[in-house]
Amino acid sequence: MEAKVSQTAITAAPPAWRKWIAGNAIALYPVLVILALVIFFSVANPNFATFDNAMNIGRQSSVLLLVALAGTMVIMIGSIDLSVGSIVTLSGIVAALTIDAAGPVVAIAAGIGTGVAVGLINGVTLISLKVPSFLVTLGMLSILSGIANMICGGSSIMFMDLSLTDFVNSELIPGLPTIILVALLSAAALAFVAFKTVLGRYLFAIGGGEIVAANSGVPVNRYKVYAFMLSGALCGMAGVLLTAQVGAGTPAAGANMLLDSIAAIVMGGTALSGGIGGPQRTILGVLVIAILSNGMDVTEVSSFTQEIVKGLVIILAVASTIDRKKYPFIK
Amino acid sequence: MNTVVPALALSGVSKHYGQVAALRAVDLTLARHSVLGLVGENGAGKSTLISVINGTVLPTDGELRVNGSVVAPGAPLAAARAGIATVFQEQGLVANLRVHENMLLGRERGFARAGFLGTNATAALARDVLNELGIAIDPMAVTGDLAFGERQLVEIAKAFALGRIYPVEPIVLLDEPTSALSDKETQILFNSIRRWRDKASIVLVSHRLSDVFAVCDHVTALKDGTVNGHWAVADATPDMLHEAIVGRPRSAGYYKESEQREDLGEIVLDIRSLTVPGQLRDVSLSVQAGEIVGVAGVLGSGKTVLGNAITGAIRPAGGEISIRGKRLKPGSRSDALAADVGFVPAERNIAGVIGMHSIEWNLTLPSLRSFRFGRWPVLSAARQARVTDSWIERLRVRTPGRAVQIRNLSGGNAQKVVFAKWLARGIKVFVLDDPGRGLDVGAKEEIYVLLRDLARQGVAIVLISDNLPEIIGLSNRIITLRSGAISAEINAPAHDKPAETAVVPHMV
Repeated sequence: MEAKVSQTAITAAPPAWRKWIAGNAIALYPVLVILALVIFFSVANPNFATFDNAMNIGRQSSVLLLVALAGTMVIMIGSIDLSVGSIVTLSGIVAALTIDAAGPVVAIAAGIGTGVAVGLINGVTLISLKVPSFLVTLGMLSILSGIANMICGGSSIMFMDLSLTDFVNSELIPGLPTIILVALLSAAALAFVAFKTVLGRYLFAIGGGEIVAANSGVPVNRYKVYAFMLSGALCGMAGVLLTAQVGAGTPAAGANMLLDSIAAIVMGGTALSGGIGGPQRTILGVLVIAILSNGMDVTEVSSFTQEIVKGLVIILAVASTIDRKKYPFIK
Repeated sequence: MNTVVPALALSGVSKHYGQVAALRAVDLTLARHSVLGLVGENGAGKSTLISVINGTVLPTDGELRVNGSVVAPGAPLAAARAGIATVFQEQGLVANLRVHENMLLGRERGFARAGFLGTNATAALARDVLNELGIAIDPMAVTGDLAFGERQLVEIAKAFALGRIYPVEPIVLLDEPTSALSDKETQILFNSIRRWRDKASIVLVSHRLSDVFAVCDHVTALKDGTVNGHWAVADATPDMLHEAIVGRPRSAGYYKESEQREDLGEIVLDIRSLTVPGQLRDVSLSVQAGEIVGVAGVLGSGKTVLGNAITGAIRPAGGEISIRGKRLKPGSRSDALAADVGFVPAERNIAGVIGMHSIEWNLTLPSLRSFRFGRWPVLSAARQARVTDSWIERLRVRTPGRAVQIRNLSGGNAQKVVFAKWLARGIKVFVLDDPGRGLDVGAKEEIYVLLRDLARQGVAIVLISDNLPEIIGLSNRIITLRSGAISAEINAPAHDKPAETAVVPHMV
């Protein structure tokens, strides 16, 4: 009798690995997409699956990763920051303007400072005027693009001091470009912030249930501002790195970042409604976008076709990865 | 044998979800022009049974007959054609539509002319139905502007409107209609149900035994998916029903009156002349350590506003609130929290817990800073886990573990987590707004035990509730609010509890 009972217990309970997969299915989907893309492009072009090309992908997606991480911190609280790309542009221009006169350290500080300032304005406007983040940051996007074009007057801002450019292209760890190292360290730091600190937990709580958070003593407004400032800081950093990488500050530098970053965030599994997901998910989403872009470059797909394919893949990937139970309404 | 064909008859209805049986061979009979009460604990199968009747759940086995003829199982449209209409617990009305649009939502087809909706026809039909039911609501009103109780009446009218479209007499399923209504609104609803009995047959699902005795002709008790008793209400007593629902006799002193503290400590919460324009007038109240003060009043009496003012959620225009002699900054949530004021809100899923987050994350939220390593902003995972586990054990939260999302817990267990949030933090004042809302009899009893424990530890408790027996049973003292002002203060010592009839006159 006893043996029979224990036997049913064993057959009834699914094995541990199966339970783990069921619980982490959302995290696994992007991994499967990445594997599928890698296999497809490796077959299409033998040059795709090489170490050099992997580093290429890393270099191309480091800036995007920072921008997507920035967006993640804001989407975690259930808001959205549409000004990320324009902050990248403006911060990059500010860095390009300051580096020759004041040196690389000041240029970095000025670029990041610009981002933090914009984030502060975004956040304070949001909470004091009670305008949805969607509209505040949409307005900010337009304002910043205008300022960037005004500063540049239609041309790029060149600079002589190449210390920063040399730094991002260096290999502090042999074989690994420093820009990739910086992006990955930032992602690790943010994942730590999200899951191991008061700030991270409060951001999740605000996204999960703002009223519950307020009732529990979370200073909701202050932490909303923090989220936008953090987003601004990361975009500022992305802008500085992009300027260093390109060798100039240009008025269209961050133009494509917004769509790609939101696609990466959602594909990674951070819900647009907030409260779940996090920076660790976003890394996978960025990889999907980066591999797709690079793979099509390598297989010589025209850039127009690439845009169409990217759009399709984003819709399909999101449709197959989002957990619909977490969205009560699809609007 | 009764030869009259019943309006609704279920025989041998079972529903299995995998290995789990939600319903087991349920037989149920609803006589024509009668009201049948359906009672049972959460998880007893009431909602599943309602869903089987209205066709939204396909039963594993069994048969459903309306007026003697079989209705196809698991087919909502077939059920609707047979006249079955459900008034849901969570209101199913669209707030930005007008009343008549809501009443005929999804049934507009017959009213369209060349694809355009004829507003006049739907409005006229809606007005006619509302008149017939004696409901004084303008069919052109925007639904979201109506009070909760009025919206509930619109839902019911919607069920009757269905009877106009399909030429059948309606069978109305009311799913927990009173759980969010004030006593006055409940009375209005019950008076209406009595009047409608000759036009419809009604099934009323409720947690409250008082509902059954107020308005039902028959009552069926469900327990673990099976029928555990069926009576004509005239033959039933509350204790019989309680035993059928819970499966054991009602414990003496459901509200633990014997544990009520009579030796009270110093004054902890002191409210002086609190005023919120249009909502609270000159309310003064003090609560001692270990005391439970019940706040009774109808919807709109200001009782919820009072709770919100104490917890700093709203800023009063005048008066002051002090905790242990220290005056709170008006309308400052952080000041109230710093003075250790805990809050159990009425809307648990909106204001009490974050459903998508784990027990651990919910439980540690108010006390999160205490889990830091010293002054570092970094949190100790081990300490969070240890504290969460200890509260799960102490409050007997039934869960496979601390990582389980709150939305996978039953209402009673989720409410225990709301309590644990504050217990883990440590509180001196506890404000509770309808803490038993949506909980079954057993879960409520556990919550009452917790409240008695807190009182013993010297917490000053303000208990706001729509449930009068609960207020009377638990409180040392009851204040009644009427139109924002205190209308009476009634002592309720354990040995001499006031009758409901002594309290109600001060509320209306």
